[in-house]
Amino acid sequence: MSATLTAAPPVRYPPGDLAIWIFILAELAVFAIFFASYAFARMGDVAMFNEYQATLDKGAALINTLALITSSYFVVRALAAIREDHRKTSVRWLLAALAMGGLFLFVKSAEYVHHFGEGVRLSSNTFYMFYLSLTFFHFLHVVLGMVILAAVALKTHQGAYSAGEHTGMETGGVYWHMVDLVWLILFPLVYVMR
Amino acid sequence: MNAVMTTQTAMRPCTRVYLLLVVLTLVTFALGHFDLLSGSRALVLSLLVLGFALIKGQLIGDFFMGLKGLRGPWRFVILLWLLIPGTLITIAFTLAG
Repeated sequence: MSATLTAAPPVRYPPGDLAIWIFILAELAVFAIFFASYAFARMGDVAMFNEYQATLDKGAALINTLALITSSYFVVRALAAIREDHRKTSVRWLLAALAMGGLFLFVKSAEYVHHFGEGVRLSSNTFYMFYLSLTFFHFLHVVLGMVILAAVALKTHQGAYSAGEHTGMETGGVYWHMVDLVWLILFPLVYVMR
Repeated sequence: MNAVMTTQTAMRPCTRVYLLLVVLTLVTFALGHFDLLSGSRALVLSLLVLGFALIKGQLIGDFFMGLKGLRGPWRFVILLWLLIPGTLITIAFTLAG
């Protein structure tokens, strides 16, 4: 009886502001269309897609995948820390997450510099058109996610969040996880699958 | 005492999920890096890699985005999203041979 009375009620809504989830669903729908378009466009010239896919740097993509996964993990730890009212620890995890985001941007930028140096353009061929547009669209989401994480870190430092109220951090966190989620599909699709 | 020590050293569920994500990522990279996705087994291994990606996505949704344990439609929102492009990509790659 006591256990029944103290049991937490079932939760029906995800963490964070519901509005961010609507925004995330819209973003995910766009990326889903992008992914399907890539896969069906590839059917038109599989050999060409495979040939130019081989020019991509899989090592850089691995570093970037690990950077985003690690960054997402750090955000989970930041949220766990604030739920225990450990504000300073939470800020440190968020800064570490931002550093991983920065690593992603650095590695991805280096890839772009290399490809542009080789004369690769959006108009080069269908594969590069998808590669550049898909990855750059995602790149912009990483930038936006880092701006959001920086704002969350600043507010946490200023004491805006606590164990009792941290909806803002949850909201920023789920957006960042969405950025990670999209890359987890993009990485094998564009860099690995043949 | 033992119980206390076990509690203090127990790995958080999110840490276990993180390590699993890293392992799946490394396997995906290895398959691509060592050019195992070529020849007659390319399609099967490509779809295996896609399967890893979908599992990783569901782990992110459940454990990082906090959907695990929810009641109602929000519980399945990431799974649904993963299945739609996942199915379309599978069809396209299978038809392409």
